[in-house]
Amino acid sequence: MKYIITTEQLTKKYKNFTAVNGVSLHIRQGSIYGFLGPNGAGKSTTMKMLLGLTTLTEGSFAIDGKHFPADRLTILKEIGSFIESPSFYANLTGRENLDIIRQILELPKSSVDDALELVGLEEFGNRLAKKYSLGMKQRLGLAGALLGRPPILILDEPTNGLDPTGIHEIRSLVKSLPTLYNCTILISSHMLSEIELIADDIGILNHGRLLFEGRMEDLRRDASQESFAADNLENMFLSIIEKDNLARKKEAKL
Amino acid sequence: MRMLAIELQKEKRTGVTGVLLAVGVLGAAYAFINFFVRRETLLALPLAPMDVLLTQLYGMIMVLNMFGIVVAACMIYEMEFKGNAIKRIHMLPVSVAGMYLCKFLILTMLFLLVVSFQNLALMRIGMNDLPKGSFEMKTLIIFAGYSFLTSMPVLSFMLLVSSRFENMWIPLGIGVSGFLSGMALATSDAELLLIHPFIIMLKPAVAMSAQPDYMILIVSLIETVIFLEIGLWMAEKLRYE
Repeated sequence: MKYIITTEQLTKKYKNFTAVNGVSLHIRQGSIYGFLGPNGAGKSTTMKMLLGLTTLTEGSFAIDGKHFPADRLTILKEIGSFIESPSFYANLTGRENLDIIRQILELPKSSVDDALELVGLEEFGNRLAKKYSLGMKQRLGLAGALLGRPPILILDEPTNGLDPTGIHEIRSLVKSLPTLYNCTILISSHMLSEIELIADDIGILNHGRLLFEGRMEDLRRDASQESFAADNLENMFLSIIEKDNLARKKEAKL
Repeated sequence: MRMLAIELQKEKRTGVTGVLLAVGVLGAAYAFINFFVRRETLLALPLAPMDVLLTQLYGMIMVLNMFGIVVAACMIYEMEFKGNAIKRIHMLPVSVAGMYLCKFLILTMLFLLVVSFQNLALMRIGMNDLPKGSFEMKTLIIFAGYSFLTSMPVLSFMLLVSSRFENMWIPLGIGVSGFLSGMALATSDAELLLIHPFIIMLKPAVAMSAQPDYMILIVSLIETVIFLEIGLWMAEKLRYE
């Protein structure tokens, strides 16, 4: 089994606050890895560290055997990413925005249309990005991540702001990608039902610590053993987080 | 070259080119109108005709240029922060320092165009309106180069400042403060004040001679390089947090 992304005791501290605390992830090649956690758990910070947007305080990570910052350019060539909110040039159209990324990635011109079509934005490609609705901006951000069909995708809350149809479309798209061109996806979302439908592996983060990592069936087995409701991901997730929060409260009282 | 072409595409609809070209046109128009209206008064000053042409008109042209540089530098980074596009750039296999350098080159090239345009106007005035035989092309070219180089520290400094603040009003405020404090201190002879980039830019405007001051020229070059180096270092080393 080949892990395409591995992290070793990844830690990020901001003065007195530890956002990510010794997280060791193992993401299999060709899998969809659902990265779950409540708000402020450290999901986005972990993803930002993998993309070099934030420096690590401690630990290390390897992406396809390469390391930051020495292999920054090679790593980023292999990753399509979408972090927190869409990033775009408000003064350019959707198509022009993608064309900027296309030129940086040295891709053929046809890749812009391909990406627009993948996210269902082809008829709005010539509209200024600042005039897009939130959902359209979200799709544009996703199109930017999918441009050139990169082997690794890091998607942080990609369905935020989308309507139910949009969520369904993006979910189907994300689910189809590993089969379509054998990519690996690290995806975070609060929509646990969505993750349950698409993820092969799950990582659960709370207060910067990784509480669980493994396959969905392992999570179900662990939940049953702990006498948690194991009927769906949402219940299992809530039980694990609640248990951890209670333990933290007890620790704090002591 | 590829990076520069990409950067030029990104400038589309930002108004950076428009602002600087407008400054060039306004500066040239000001020179024509001012000399047309005040010709007799200006030529009656106890100065050589070339000094009158170059120093007496430069004050307002310099103010226009200064505001053009401040606004253009703010706008060239505003587009990166507005839709959070800078975050995307940090996630792409591209050198952020390379992008910074391209922005510096674009502003420099546009500003060179502005200065050329304004000096073409001065050349025309000099050839047609100065007393016969008093126009010296060499003096005009030297002064054009001098005024361009003494403006570069402000350009380099403003690009550095605007690259560090997401809110455009902060670099704009720093630019205006720089202008006001520069105006207040420009006539001082204290050499220490030359570390203030706006004072350097104001120096040719408060001088009575069109002859370059080599001390100011050397300080200009040093400051331009220092601000550029700091900007490149920050773009390369500081992460998007």
